[in-house]
Amino acid sequence: MNRNHKRTLVAVAAALGLASVAGLIAGNRVSAAGSGSITGTVKLSGSPPHMKGIDMSKDPYCVKQHENNPAKMENVVVGADGGLQNVVLYISEGLSGPEASATPSEEPVVDQHNCMYVPHVVAMDVNQKYKVTTTDQTTHNIHPLPAPGTGNIGWNKSQPAGAPPIETTWKAPEAISVKCNIHPWMHGWHVVVKGPYAISDASGTYTIKNLPPGSYTVTAWHEEYGTQTQKVTVAAGQPGKADFTFKAK
Amino acid sequence: MTSSRNTVLAALLSAAFLLTFSSSASALPAFARKYGLRCSACHEAWPMLNYFGQKFKDNGYQLMNDRDSPIWQNPSYWPATFRITPQWHRESTDKVSVDTALTGLQQITSHGFDLSGLDFHTGGTLEKNVSFYVLPSSDSSGNFHFETVMARLDNLFGSSWLNLKLGKFELDNLISEKRILTLTNISGVYQTYHFRPPNDSNFYGQIGDNQLGLEYMGHSADDRTRISASLLSSNDGQVGLPSSNGYTGFFSASQAFDTGRLGVQRVGFYAMAGEAPTYFLTTSGGPLATPFGNAGGRGNRSFSREGFVGLFYLGKLDFLAVTQHGSDSAYFAATPSIPANTPLPAGTQSPTWNGYMVETHYVYNPQLIFIQRSEFERVSQQGLPGVASDTGNLNMFTFGYRWYPIMNPRAGFAFHNEYSWLRQRKTAPDGSDLTSSSLFLGFDFDF
Amino acid sequence: MRRKSFDCRRLAAAAAVGGMSLLGRAQVTEYQQHQWLNTPAASSHIGNLTGRPKAAAMVYRRYCVVCHGELGDGNGESAQWVDPKPRDFTLAIFKCRSTPTGTLPTDEDIYDTIARGLDRSNMPPWNTFTRQERADLVAWIKHFSPRWQTEKPGQRIEIPPEPEITPERIKAGQDVYARVQCWKCHGAEGRANGPSASTLQDDLGRPILPYNFAEGGRFKCGTTDRDLYRIFMTGMDGTPMPSFADNIKPEEAWNLVFYLRTLQPFPSKQKEIAKPLGLKPINPNATGP
Repeated sequence: MNRNHKRTLVAVAAALGLASVAGLIAGNRVSAAGSGSITGTVKLSGSPPHMKGIDMSKDPYCVKQHENNPAKMENVVVGADGGLQNVVLYISEGLSGPEASATPSEEPVVDQHNCMYVPHVVAMDVNQKYKVTTTDQTTHNIHPLPAPGTGNIGWNKSQPAGAPPIETTWKAPEAISVKCNIHPWMHGWHVVVKGPYAISDASGTYTIKNLPPGSYTVTAWHEEYGTQTQKVTVAAGQPGKADFTFKAK
Repeated sequence: MTSSRNTVLAALLSAAFLLTFSSSASALPAFARKYGLRCSACHEAWPMLNYFGQKFKDNGYQLMNDRDSPIWQNPSYWPATFRITPQWHRESTDKVSVDTALTGLQQITSHGFDLSGLDFHTGGTLEKNVSFYVLPSSDSSGNFHFETVMARLDNLFGSSWLNLKLGKFELDNLISEKRILTLTNISGVYQTYHFRPPNDSNFYGQIGDNQLGLEYMGHSADDRTRISASLLSSNDGQVGLPSSNGYTGFFSASQAFDTGRLGVQRVGFYAMAGEAPTYFLTTSGGPLATPFGNAGGRGNRSFSREGFVGLFYLGKLDFLAVTQHGSDSAYFAATPSIPANTPLPAGTQSPTWNGYMVETHYVYNPQLIFIQRSEFERVSQQGLPGVASDTGNLNMFTFGYRWYPIMNPRAGFAFHNEYSWLRQRKTAPDGSDLTSSSLFLGFDFDF
Repeated sequence: MRRKSFDCRRLAAAAAVGGMSLLGRAQVTEYQQHQWLNTPAASSHIGNLTGRPKAAAMVYRRYCVVCHGELGDGNGESAQWVDPKPRDFTLAIFKCRSTPTGTLPTDEDIYDTIARGLDRSNMPPWNTFTRQERADLVAWIKHFSPRWQTEKPGQRIEIPPEPEITPERIKAGQDVYARVQCWKCHGAEGRANGPSASTLQDDLGRPILPYNFAEGGRFKCGTTDRDLYRIFMTGMDGTPMPSFADNIKPEEAWNLVFYLRTLQPFPSKQKEIAKPLGLKPINPNATGP
């Protein structure tokens, strides 16, 4: 799977080779001062899949929290105009210098709220601190399951009601699947990337900030629909633009 | 003359015996299938056990991971294994009395393709800590007998020191004849476990034969210390109470020592003492047809065997050693035995002897083993007057190898090649030394 | 004979996890392992014993390879028939540790596990090995995974001396059992029948059962009170059992140990002391503490 995927990436890169060279030259001409950004919208074409309701009857506390607000799966969350939420966008090529190695100081938070992960997808830079908190009156266990050989090592910690946040980091870029074994429906993603990133909001829009002008490859990752890439050029005072459209299966 | 004919008869019988029993060892792909382990996990080279296999056996065929009970197995699992050994072999004995075409003593050599008997093993656990073993075994023409039938209560009161076994089983021999790695007509048994001087009629004291009885066995959790005591019927494992009311006791104890990279060394001691009848109320000495098949054995007289055992490991090289002392009542000095209700003929003494055995293995890897064994039996006191002191003394040598091209958790297959040589002093019909040899090439397999 | 590069199971697992690859994933190869064989990181130290990996090669082949595989990846020829599955040593994730969740175990941890076996699995107690053989095997196990080259074992979790058993402590232990909701999996009476018990999966997505205290079998990682204490604090990596190190104080942990002993089916000092308390099983329908 991974290998095939890699091959696709190579093919895409090759196809865009010429454009890329052109872009690089263009990029070099632009002054490096000021921080640019890339914005865009991620959409889902076709009819979005039905998100099943969640049976939380294993834990009466969870049932109670969702009495008036039935819980649904969050694998594919689509907004009004077909905007696709929870897509992680990051720079897969073109980064160099301090922007590539700087670790953001803000700490993303993922909360265990009403027996769901809020947000369902959290993104972070390599070595960026982030927090896992709980506001539930029931015990959860946070169990990230990094794939073997990535350099990330899994762990499994409990968080009973009122427990302090778990603050931690990841060493390597990877979309890490996170589970709660006690509540098997609880499944989220801690997506670790290298460099600036953004997550699409309810309307599918995003902005990757803090980019010096240059030519970049933006990768959009979605847990169900995989990845797409686009070449984007960021000029001074002129944000790059990259819209993505994933096709509903 | 009678005695020499008996010797030949005994030789033939023992040859038949070897063909029948030589492969009655317990190499069980049934267990390998159950646990997903290879033969090599329990066997230094199957069927011979290693320490882990010995512990498994001592725990009642249990790995002690609470998954031993059959309830954990797939319902279709049936713990059965067969073993058989197709082969080509060549047997040669000098100085055999012949009665046609030629007369006098001739060397007889025979060779050809052949089969061993079939062993049909089934064994395992009936429930956690209740184990069993049933082994119908046939001779090469398919006549079956029960080689082993036993049930065992394991780890009574949660203690590995309390295990009780009832039935027909092999004595608690650290160096097991049923797991012997040598297969020729000569080497298929340990001479030391069966030897008795010429003319001696006591066949009850054969350490190597499976016996009927009750066994207590205890061991430490890691099996470093082992102890067992059993009460056996003095009938050499024959069913139907053929020899009445004699009993034999067997005791063994051993201790193993951790010697780092060399391995685990074990030394032990065993003793057997019992009584057996010297005459029978039936003319033939066989059981009566009615009403209870009782042969009416009378005149019990005693016999004893004591031995020291060592299993020594030097990396890939290991040595099994046994020294055994045997002693029979003077009433057994002749064949048939001297009835205990008659006076002993003058000069009759208790036959005594000593046996020595060293078996060497070079385990090149778990799938290739080279084997060598030497056995020496020395009569220290002849039972009958006028018999030369070295009569019956025996030297045996064998060497060979077993290669296991297939050794998986389902089946075992070995290529076996071996040559054995045996000489016994003054037992040829003309009173000279009798020499025989045996060459074996075969496939030994079980599934 | 030796399966090297293409490992369907691992690829499938990676696909299930990611669906994307942010980084090319390194496969552990026989060649790499051969390099690690000669590194100091792949030796073991247990007391005054030093284990050398090469010395264990034949022992591993004889006893272990059938389940754990030539490359130590848990893909031996019997692995498909074994449940729970054999450890994949290339991941270096171990259930029984004295170190925090997500860290490597100490050499002693692996050494002890070899001799103890893992109850209710196909891993028997290999206590027939010599101490040296076990030390060598630890070293051999360590040469399978790159983690031993770059990481150090975690800090051993301190276990304070066992306090005196009192009725109050047993009662307090039950409160801990209720507060951190052990019963969600282990059940109100420790019978492994909690509401989440039937849904549990190990890290490879295979069904797994919580420990049943009422059955009275050995614990996976030892039989003593200290072994039980250690389990809350380390968790059992690779399984749903999390670490409670951040949420159970040492005092509370001992109380919990004492309470758990009263759930076992055989007579114990704890049971005797708890008798006058007339403890009722906790109410699993209570929501929250």
